[in-house]
Amino acid sequence: IGDPSLLRSLNGNTVLISGKAATSPAENYHLARRRTLQVVVSALLTECGFESAEKAAVETLTEMMQSYITEIGRCAKAYCEHTARSVPTLADTVVTLIEMGFNADTLPVYAKRSQRMVITAPPVTNAPVTPKALSAGQKRTHPAYIPSHFPEFPDPHTYIKTPTFREPVSDYQVVREKAASQKRDVERALTRFMAKTGETQSLFKDDITAFPLIAAQPSSIPYLSALLPSELELQTLEETDSSEQDDQTDSENAAGNLINDDPGGDKENSMLPPSGVPSAKASEENVIDNPYLRPVKKPKVRRKK
Amino acid sequence: MLCYYDIQIVRRNLASYVDIIWIYCPALLLSFSLVLFKQTKLGPKSGPTEKGLSSFCVHIVSLLVRGLSSLSDVASGLKYLQGKRQNKPEMCCVHNVQVNRTGYVELTIFPTVVNLNRIKLNSKQCRIYRVRVNELEAPFIYNDPTLEVCHHESKQRNLNYFSSAYTAAVSAVDPDAGHGELVIKVPPELWKQGDDLKVLKVYIEFSLDQPKGGLHFVVPDVEGSMAERGAHVFSFGYQNSTRFWFPCVDSYSELCTWKLEFTVDASMVAVSCGDLVETIYTHDMRKKTYHYVLPIPTAAPNISLAVGPFEILVDPYMHEVTHFCLPQLLPLLKHSMSYLHEIFEFYEEILTCRYPYSCFKTVFVDEAYVQLSSYASMSIFSTNLLHSATIIDQTPLTRRCLAQALAQQFFDLKQADEWVLKGISGYIYGLYLKKTFGVNEYRHWIKEELDKIVEYELKMGGVLLHPTFTGGKEKDNPTPHLHFSIKHPHTLSWEYFKMFQCKAHLVMRLIENRISMEFMLQVFNKLLSLASTASSQKYQSHMWSQMLLSTHAFLKSISNVSGKDIGPLIKQWVDQSSVVKFFGSFAFNRKRNVLELEIRQDYTSSGTQKYVGPIKVTVQELDGSFNHTLQIEENSLKHDIPCHSKSRRNKKKKIPLMNGEEVDMDLSAMDADSPLLWIRIDPDMSILRKVEFEQADFMWQYQLRYERDVVAQEEAISALEKFPTPASRLALTDILEQEQCFYKVRMQACFCLAKIANSMVSTWQGPPAMKSLFTRMFCCKSCPNIVKTNNFISFQSYFLQKTMPVAMALLRDVHNLCPKDVLNFILDLIKYNDNRKNKFSDNYYRADLIEALTNSLTPAISISNEVRTVDNLNADVRLILEEITRFLNMEKLLPSFRNTITVRCLSAIRQLQRNGHIPSDASLFKSYAEYGHFVDVRVAALEALVDYTRVERSSAELQWLLNMVQNDPAHYVRHKILGMLSKNPPFTKTTDSALCNEALVDQLWKLMNSGTSHDWRLRCDAVNLYYTLFGLTRPSCLPLPELGLVLNLKEKKAVLNPTIKPELEVGPVVDTPASIGIHGVGMCYAFNTMEDEDIDMETVHDSQAFIHQHLHLLERPSTPGTHTHTSACMHARTHAHHLVTHTPVLFVLLGKEPPSVEQSLLSMPATPVPSFSKETSSLASKHAGEHGHHHHHHHHEHKKKKKKHKHKHKHKHKHESKDKEKDRERDNSHAYSNSPASGRSLRSPSMSD
Repeated sequence: IGDPSLLRSLNGNTVLISGKAATSPAENYHLARRRTLQVVVSALLTECGFESAEKAAVETLTEMMQSYITEIGRCAKAYCEHTARSVPTLADTVVTLIEMGFNADTLPVYAKRSQRMVITAPPVTNAPVTPKALSAGQKRTHPAYIPSHFPEFPDPHTYIKTPTFREPVSDYQVVREKAASQKRDVERALTRFMAKTGETQSLFKDDITAFPLIAAQPSSIPYLSALLPSELELQTLEETDSSEQDDQTDSENAAGNLINDDPGGDKENSMLPPSGVPSAKASEENVIDNPYLRPVKKPKVRRKK
Repeated sequence: MLCYYDIQIVRRNLASYVDIIWIYCPALLLSFSLVLFKQTKLGPKSGPTEKGLSSFCVHIVSLLVRGLSSLSDVASGLKYLQGKRQNKPEMCCVHNVQVNRTGYVELTIFPTVVNLNRIKLNSKQCRIYRVRVNELEAPFIYNDPTLEVCHHESKQRNLNYFSSAYTAAVSAVDPDAGHGELVIKVPPELWKQGDDLKVLKVYIEFSLDQPKGGLHFVVPDVEGSMAERGAHVFSFGYQNSTRFWFPCVDSYSELCTWKLEFTVDASMVAVSCGDLVETIYTHDMRKKTYHYVLPIPTAAPNISLAVGPFEILVDPYMHEVTHFCLPQLLPLLKHSMSYLHEIFEFYEEILTCRYPYSCFKTVFVDEAYVQLSSYASMSIFSTNLLHSATIIDQTPLTRRCLAQALAQQFFDLKQADEWVLKGISGYIYGLYLKKTFGVNEYRHWIKEELDKIVEYELKMGGVLLHPTFTGGKEKDNPTPHLHFSIKHPHTLSWEYFKMFQCKAHLVMRLIENRISMEFMLQVFNKLLSLASTASSQKYQSHMWSQMLLSTHAFLKSISNVSGKDIGPLIKQWVDQSSVVKFFGSFAFNRKRNVLELEIRQDYTSSGTQKYVGPIKVTVQELDGSFNHTLQIEENSLKHDIPCHSKSRRNKKKKIPLMNGEEVDMDLSAMDADSPLLWIRIDPDMSILRKVEFEQADFMWQYQLRYERDVVAQEEAISALEKFPTPASRLALTDILEQEQCFYKVRMQACFCLAKIANSMVSTWQGPPAMKSLFTRMFCCKSCPNIVKTNNFISFQSYFLQKTMPVAMALLRDVHNLCPKDVLNFILDLIKYNDNRKNKFSDNYYRADLIEALTNSLTPAISISNEVRTVDNLNADVRLILEEITRFLNMEKLLPSFRNTITVRCLSAIRQLQRNGHIPSDASLFKSYAEYGHFVDVRVAALEALVDYTRVERSSAELQWLLNMVQNDPAHYVRHKILGMLSKNPPFTKTTDSALCNEALVDQLWKLMNSGTSHDWRLRCDAVNLYYTLFGLTRPSCLPLPELGLVLNLKEKKAVLNPTIKPELEVGPVVDTPASIGIHGVGMCYAFNTMEDEDIDMETVHDSQAFIHQHLHLLERPSTPGTHTHTSACMHARTHAHHLVTHTPVLFVLLGKEPPSVEQSLLSMPATPVPSFSKETSSLASKHAGEHGHHHHHHHHEHKKKKKKHKHKHKHKHKHESKDKEKDRERDNSHAYSNSPASGRSLRSPSMSD
């Protein structure tokens, strides 16, 4: 394997690492490269006298080799760019190898060693096609003071704005309208469903399906549902409270309210004074001398009759 | 649940007792032991109707009450003893009961009495097993005359008669007069000891199974243990009702100290009066006993109890205060109670006096009898007062309730003259309102209360705060206009009682006006400190009389502190009932520059009285506001008031107002000649009055715009309703927009504007009233048809936002329909309502929008008898119905706070039905009215049903409602149904209705006669309803007595010929009247019946003389116990029998229905009907008047004889099983004979001879 092919494979690997957005043909391409690398590792192992190897070991070696090659490629590319070129030369690679502590002089000898195995070239697969960048809008032409050989301007959306073709609904009226009708539709569908699946009462005798009312079901503890706010209400309340900070800048007494009606405070210890006392109070809870908090005593032997 | 009570009582002598007894009575020891047992095994007696109770295992094992008391005997001759002996030596004791698993309560009393051989206690519903005095078995009598008020069938059904009989029955057991249901005879061995002033101990064993009153058990029907189900029990009652749950002296004036013990399930908490000393497990560790001590002398009616699996919250500010609520409600409790300490601080500060008890407990229970009830050191509230932080409307209501309860804690519990205490607590509650909610709110409240009392008194007649009953004679009745007696709290109708409270605090405010608030508070402070000094004195019971607050003491204290004589004021408002009604008008005399004011009074119509004295008149002139005090005298109507201002309208100058403010006014509207802007009569409401004042519309408009007093503004608004002009419209609109104006005034202005708009409908310009205003205030700037997303941070605009649509919906166009754009506007409000960003719940707002929809409904144009179907539904109505259906259905999935939405939806549906848009149908409401829905929903559904009953004249629904009155577990709902029926009656005494028939009369009569004996309030409600439906005299639907009368001896009355009235019960109807021989036979039968229904001596109250005689017979037995009694009774019976055999006719003459009998005897020849009925009523009332007092000697004697007759017959009855069988059958047909109270008494062990 000559240097160019090595380099090519290096480039391929670079693509493999960086180009994560590989489509299916691209994936095939990279898989083929990798397989070749695996064959190389196996060949080297055979050369060294191994008869068999665990798959995991081979895999690990492949991985090591790949990262080594990748590193060489990356460094060589860096050197070349450092000298304001875009394609690495042999010198770049050699410098890289030296830099990485490899004696480059041994390479030709090693390459021409007698017991080396010849590996078939990887099957020719189509190099992955880089997907065309989304072109949106008209590319700007160069102004007069820029020579024409300079690269073209990129698409305007990358540096000016991204035009979209549908206006987002920003009209307040429409938003409200939509929210209202959506809510209403959901409610209607839900209640209709409930009415269809459960018992109903009707206001009309001739058509009991018109205006169905979900039948009234007595509950055994009616005050609970009537007094406790529903979970949904609590939830929306919390949401509101969290978003209240920015909402309420206009109302002058918002600050005061916010302190008093902090959602956490509401739930845990809303009756506690807003000063530092509450926490102290809470910890003193067992210190409070209230007869109802005292433990129940064990019975005495004496018994009143 | 096991309750173990140990109540220590130290009782004080009654002030009304004679002094001699007083001196000879040292403090007595009185102690109870109560044990309540739960019935784990359902006995056959616990029928399915008592669902809650039978499944609730109530074990009340033993309850001990111990105390020191000066229980005294009324040594007068009013004692009685009836031949039902109750002590059996082998009476079951605690252990037996436990083994037998029968439910019972046991009460033990140890009293010391001086010179006392009879002890009278109050006790209702309790079954007494045995009484021991100093370890000696003591005979006792248990007789409850209020179980059944009228004992015999009275086909006359005269309410006058009933009321007097009921009053007499209550008097007969009135603890303040030394009476009681339970009379214990002190064993003669102890008489000596009693004479030596030694301690007597009375021990009473009693049981209380399935009490219908006094204690209320709430047992949700779900899985789990009692604690998991949230089952609880609490005591309740209307006025003094403690006798319902344990024997006691049930009077506010009998004070004693208490020690209470309650043994309850380990998962339960027992909350009661006083300090919790300790809690101890029972030996099996499954129950625990709560020990309470109440060292401050307290009357029995102020003792209460609540047991349940309560969650406990110690007030974070005041550790002495503990709050209790039902499981899961703790977060609500925390929020609702977070400001209680402020109320405490306020009261303690203004009274400069500490809270009288060492601790305070609030308990929140379900199915509460009233919203709040105060007892010594604890208050029981309805759990529905609790709310979360998101609820706006409930918050002030709950705070008011708490403030009221706390005010009552300071003053309401030491009772002597009720009005003083109710007045003071109401007054200091008002001060709290003023401080917390502001002067506007306070003045608004005062006006509201004043309007209420004025309306009530003008309609129903006067409310008397301090009645004096001198002779107790009928003609001395201070309130002859009422259909009930005000002598006893138990006979007062609920409405009257509420008005009484209202008037009491208003009068207290009048006193404040006279002597200044500072002095007022000094008086209170003095009273409180006197009471607290007195209460700290141990055992010197006479000191405790200081704790009782009488009118006299109060007035004395006022004159001491202030040095002012408020005698005339008290005479006018306290000793006299009624209010004052003024008519005012004026003329301006330009020449003299004098305002000629004319104030007339109406003091002839019902509920009014004449006022003589000062009255304040405020005149707003161009130069300022001037107060004038005029004297209202006998004959002067006209008053000349000199004006200060010259007519100088050309000068542009600001006009000074009463409060010193100077304003610019547009004076173009006013009369060019007069400098008067407006005039107010009695602006401070220092007279209980109604003022109808005439002044020009522009003056009202000025008053509305510029007078700063909310009361004046409200008066102006209601006056402007009569002036539908563009100027009025403008004035109202301006007020609506004025942010500084009190929100309730603005709300009122909305409704006035709607009325004015309707009157001006043909000339109205511009968009519908309030629409543009609402749009400007609450809708988006960019799209005026869409309301802003809800933000209720500003409560004033929240209330306005709620009210405006409701008022707008009242607008009508020329066709008397709600304008289309108003309806669409409201529908849009509903559609665009968005509460997602709001920190408050919008349930009340949505409810008001539904109300707006309801208000927009107008009667459907109906084509003759067309059946309402879906297809011919009006398009607008369809939209409305759509919304209501959706709201009602959504409520099932996401219930709103207190189900406000459902409540309004139900009334909306009823409104749709009533207007003929949808078919009228009661079944929907019936299902919502069932037990198991939230109480507000039930009440709304019941209200719709009551309305349905009236409109459709449906007897089935009326029956359904009355059934519910008898059977519903929730006392509040039963009370409410009767109240609503009285308010919206299916028919009245003046209208004819097919519903008004004899069966209904009977049913209602039975309801008030015996069906409601467990609840004073309910009985009064029933009386009210009866009065509304039938009036005072014999209901018109009863057949008139006519010719061909026959004497029905079983009914003890003359009736029509059976062929005319075939529905009469079979009985010995004697065809030949006035036959003496047959009389005898018939009587015998009649008495058996009667005695069977009524366990004890019937009508104790009208037979005092007889009792006396009986007692005389019993008084001197030489041996205690059975023999004595039997022999005594036998003696009496024989005696009676003797009399009977000799004077049968005499008896007939004196039967319960003297008129009828007399008719049978006297009117053999045809008597004209009218004269007869007149005679009937006059005789009946005469008869009734006799109950308490025997001024006619011969009546007196007749009575004695009559009684003896009865006795004889009872005796006979005991031995005639055949008759008994018959009677049983009769009993079964009798609706109430199976009521636990009467049934139990009949079969109770103590009764079995």
